[in-house]
Amino acid sequence: MVISMSSNIYKNKKPIIFFLVPAFAFLVIFLYYPFLQNILNSFKVINNLGSSAKGWNEPWYTNYVELCKDENIRAALVNTLKMIAATIIGQLGIAIMLALMVDNISKGQKFFRTVYFFPIVIAATALGLLFNLVFLYDKGMLNQLRELFGAAKLIDFKDNKYAMLTMMIPVTWQYVGFYFIILITGLNNISDDLYEAATIDGASRLQRVRYISLPLLHNVICTCGVLAVTGALKVFDLPWIMFPKGMPSNSTWLTGTYMYYHAFESHNVDYSSAISVLIVILGVITAKIVNTIFREKDY
Amino acid sequence: MKKMIAMLLTGAMVLSLTACGNSPSGSASAESSSQSGDDASEDAGAEESAPAESSNPVTLNVTTTFAGEDTNAQNYQDAIAAWQDETGNKINDASGSSSETFKARVISDFEMGSEPDVLFYFNGVDSNPFVEAGKVVSIDEIRQTYPDYATNMKDGMMGASPVDGKNYSVPVNGYWEGLFVNKAACEAAGVEIPTADTTWDEFMDICQKIKDAGYTPIAASFAEIPHYWFEFCIYNYLTPATHNILPESADDEHGQAWVNGIGDMKTLYEKGFLPENTLSATDGETFQLFIDGKAAFLIDGSWKVGGIEGATDDVDNFTVTYVPGKGSRKSTDIIGGLSSGWYITKKAWDDPEKQKTCVEFISYMTSDEMVSKFASVSATALNNGTQVDKSQLSSLAVAGLDMVAGATGMAGAVQDQVTQEARVPVFNGMPDIVTGKADIKEAVEELLKLVAEGQQ
Repeated sequence: MVISMSSNIYKNKKPIIFFLVPAFAFLVIFLYYPFLQNILNSFKVINNLGSSAKGWNEPWYTNYVELCKDENIRAALVNTLKMIAATIIGQLGIAIMLALMVDNISKGQKFFRTVYFFPIVIAATALGLLFNLVFLYDKGMLNQLRELFGAAKLIDFKDNKYAMLTMMIPVTWQYVGFYFIILITGLNNISDDLYEAATIDGASRLQRVRYISLPLLHNVICTCGVLAVTGALKVFDLPWIMFPKGMPSNSTWLTGTYMYYHAFESHNVDYSSAISVLIVILGVITAKIVNTIFREKDY
Repeated sequence: MKKMIAMLLTGAMVLSLTACGNSPSGSASAESSSQSGDDASEDAGAEESAPAESSNPVTLNVTTTFAGEDTNAQNYQDAIAAWQDETGNKINDASGSSSETFKARVISDFEMGSEPDVLFYFNGVDSNPFVEAGKVVSIDEIRQTYPDYATNMKDGMMGASPVDGKNYSVPVNGYWEGLFVNKAACEAAGVEIPTADTTWDEFMDICQKIKDAGYTPIAASFAEIPHYWFEFCIYNYLTPATHNILPESADDEHGQAWVNGIGDMKTLYEKGFLPENTLSATDGETFQLFIDGKAAFLIDGSWKVGGIEGATDDVDNFTVTYVPGKGSRKSTDIIGGLSSGWYITKKAWDDPEKQKTCVEFISYMTSDEMVSKFASVSATALNNGTQVDKSQLSSLAVAGLDMVAGATGMAGAVQDQVTQEARVPVFNGMPDIVTGKADIKEAVEELLKLVAEGQQ
């Protein structure tokens, strides 16, 4: 009797559809419809947030021509690519190293897990303010340390020369712990028998990592890679707190910050819509490339 | 059993969705509480759509910027509570902190036809969309029916609309801009604090002495907020009467004043009178330099009085004075004005149930007593001036009041006539301008071109 009831529930798919519909409707109303409207908006003249369009641009593709000419967009695209590179090398690279090291210690694993994961739970705005104080020109932490070691001149870590580096360090640092946790969970799933067998066969610690840990961690690394790259495309809050309005001299724009700036600061809403269309296209292309590079393997 | 659970879950979900869809009514509508989210506008909209059932009491939908961290948020709450007790009418308050999201909400409410009955909002270019659409009533029109409306205010200071030069709003508290001074920094550098008689050239000498003494003369972030210096530097080439006229080109008299004024900003940068990191620092960082006594001068608005009082334990170390002038501008010609005011929307005006109540409510909120309470140290349009108890104010606030009292002329900030989008070439381009990477005249022309495009 119990068996027949269970099988009935799983055969009858109607309740599942019933539960899927609200989520689908929610997405249609709050994602797909605004997205389509956004594409239309990019061809119109909208000078205020909340106000309706004054008509179509003349010619209708004006914003897209402007996108091609806009030096700030070029800077934003280059900076976003730099951010992706920094994410892969910095976040993922450091996370792999940390995970492998922590996996190889017998005591204190839980302690390091907590320590490395902690930055994730801090709000990006708080981190932005924190790093603003670290990199502050006048009596910031780094400049004070430099003074202690005898430096006579202050360094402006937010000027053109260092700005991108100053921005990428906290962004990278913030998410290392996230990938670290995923990777160390992956490492824990690798059977100890394999390591023991390798040790009996005379494999060194490095060889065990090279020939057991990394190959078996491949799929996890791929997932982390996709998450890291797509995350880098969306990064916004921390850079905006530290470098508002592309400061200094429009050198730190990212696609996300530049879009926000045009929507909320300069009130060029239609141009902002065009930038967001570009971001979506960029996201789709990047996701395709990343999925090709980080293709998961079946074992 | 599982089927039963599935049905129960389904039922619970349907009920919760239905509950989410219901608009709050009844008890919520009569509540008077400050809300800062979009929910507030929804409430207002819902209330607006309900037909008025009786002439008394009347429920007014009111939206203001007196919320959040606004210094008058509590004054406003106290005032509307007292008005409701006095009259028996109700306020359905949908106030929100003044932010871009709030502005978008207000504009969108007007577009959707769910605007409030009474609105306290900006009177500059931000109000253009609903003034152009004829969705608010002019003071002149209101006075045809209520001749005493806002007669305690100076008409010339009410803050006329950029659309047609007519007054639509009754202002409460305004602003002024002045030169804040860190007395200790000036004393350490051995210079006198600028006075009403100090000229621009003398001010440059003072700045040079401060720089030579190892201090930063001027706390300003040209990367983020060059606005105040822009305003006064171009004012130096104009007068209170001409400052608010937008140039038609970079070559006409006003355009030339803009080019020369921005040229003076470049000189300030080149002479090293600004913080070394002025092109990469935020406004907060340069303000801290001023508070810490590492920088001597800061141009900012009347709202900064509270900011300085909150940031220091020794407010007597700070004062505010006139920004030294040159050319046709006297040092005592200041920037100031009344950038917000109370509007009555056309929708409420055309509703016989609400018209009189709207007028009574705004008259109550703009009485001499109420305006004095809201304005404190800031400028007002009152014919009789404010009634402020100076003994309750800090020395800095009193210095601000004295500065306004001694002003020989006042002009509004001309940048208020320029949309955010049009400001980009000059304001955001300031680092490139002062470092010589961008041409001043071209930047001004670009700004004016964007202004012209926006007016089309």
